[in-house]
Amino acid sequence: MNTAMMSTLILNVLQGFFFGSGKAHVVTGVALIILAGIAWSLWRMDRRLTTLERDVNDSPS
Amino acid sequence: MSNWNALWKFGGILLLAYVIVRGFGTPLQPGLVEASPNRLAPGHAVLELTAVGQPFAQEGATPEGFTLVLRSGQDLIATQLTAVGPHGVSAAALIPDQVPSPALDAFLFTPESGTLFLGNAFFIEGAGIGPVPESFATTAPEDTAPQLGFSFPYQPNIIESIRNLLWHVPMWFAMFFVMGIGFVASLGQLRTGDARWDHRAEAAVRTGLVFGLLGLATGSLWARWTWGAWWVSDPQLNGALVTVLLYTGYLILRAAMGDDERVGRLAAVYNVFAFVMLVILLMVLPRYTESLHPGKDGNPGFNSYDLDNSLRAVFYPAVIGWGALCYWMYTLRLRMNRLEHRLLTK
Repeated sequence: MNTAMMSTLILNVLQGFFFGSGKAHVVTGVALIILAGIAWSLWRMDRRLTTLERDVNDSPS
Repeated sequence: MSNWNALWKFGGILLLAYVIVRGFGTPLQPGLVEASPNRLAPGHAVLELTAVGQPFAQEGATPEGFTLVLRSGQDLIATQLTAVGPHGVSAAALIPDQVPSPALDAFLFTPESGTLFLGNAFFIEGAGIGPVPESFATTAPEDTAPQLGFSFPYQPNIIESIRNLLWHVPMWFAMFFVMGIGFVASLGQLRTGDARWDHRAEAAVRTGLVFGLLGLATGSLWARWTWGAWWVSDPQLNGALVTVLLYTGYLILRAAMGDDERVGRLAAVYNVFAFVMLVILLMVLPRYTESLHPGKDGNPGFNSYDLDNSLRAVFYPAVIGWGALCYWMYTLRLRMNRLEHRLLTK
């Protein structure tokens, strides 16, 4: 581990680095929002593809 | 979307949500990270040890029940704890003028968090080499089982970044999984010449590449934290990069050939070659050469020493969740390929 990272770790150590500073909640929230965005866009794409597949199947060749 | 279809897709997303909440919300077990002063001379010394992770003592706790022992070679040296805080201890010690080894390991025995260890915590300068005199020696107290709640194991150097295990490793697993689908599809294409196999192979490689790039990014981040550099010339890392470049070559080959009828067959041959190279570069070669990467060259993988039950409870859902997300993306790309093919051949 390099000196800068060790200093960060030591500086925050009394607060518990990850938890006491509240960073864990922010990171969790951001990650959940990104996951929800990915899920929503995949779901929307899934629905659109289903509609397109239905249209192509129904259209006369 | 049928019920089963919706179930596995949203099941995967829910598992990933669980992994995020558990992965970032679970505290780390306490571990010693720093000793001060690093260098000691024979005689009286005041020692300080700093820890990270969950507090191992209450604010204002008394040293009663805590023991700090220094180890030189196989001999143990007693210390007298003077103060104990949630993330550190102070102690007074009498350093002998003769030790088996100038490097001292520190063992902090705690009533609730088990034994905390820091290797090569102190270095004695100016001491002779020999057994520790009896008046300095001590015996270690009995180990107590840690009474911690749901928490991730402390590992030196890795520390809080152990959470990356839930991202980096499952992403590579997902890549292997979907590239395996692509390999089987390419074999099917070569055997039958059916374009449907080719659609599967292309979809698999495109999806696998996304996860390969994510695996590289998360691995590079981890390397920066634990090894101090974004990239090191390591057979595992270089192999991973070459693999991703090989699969990028697959897409370039397809794009270069355009609508040529032979594209499916040629791409299938290339994909079979790329998958064989993936296995050789990521699973075979790193085991025969020196590597920093866990699990290679006798370097222990996570499963053998620190993938404890609390980490497993999040790691396995992560593998399933990332796998489900990857497979969902693969099926979407496959359906796009099929639709495109149908519209072009109508």
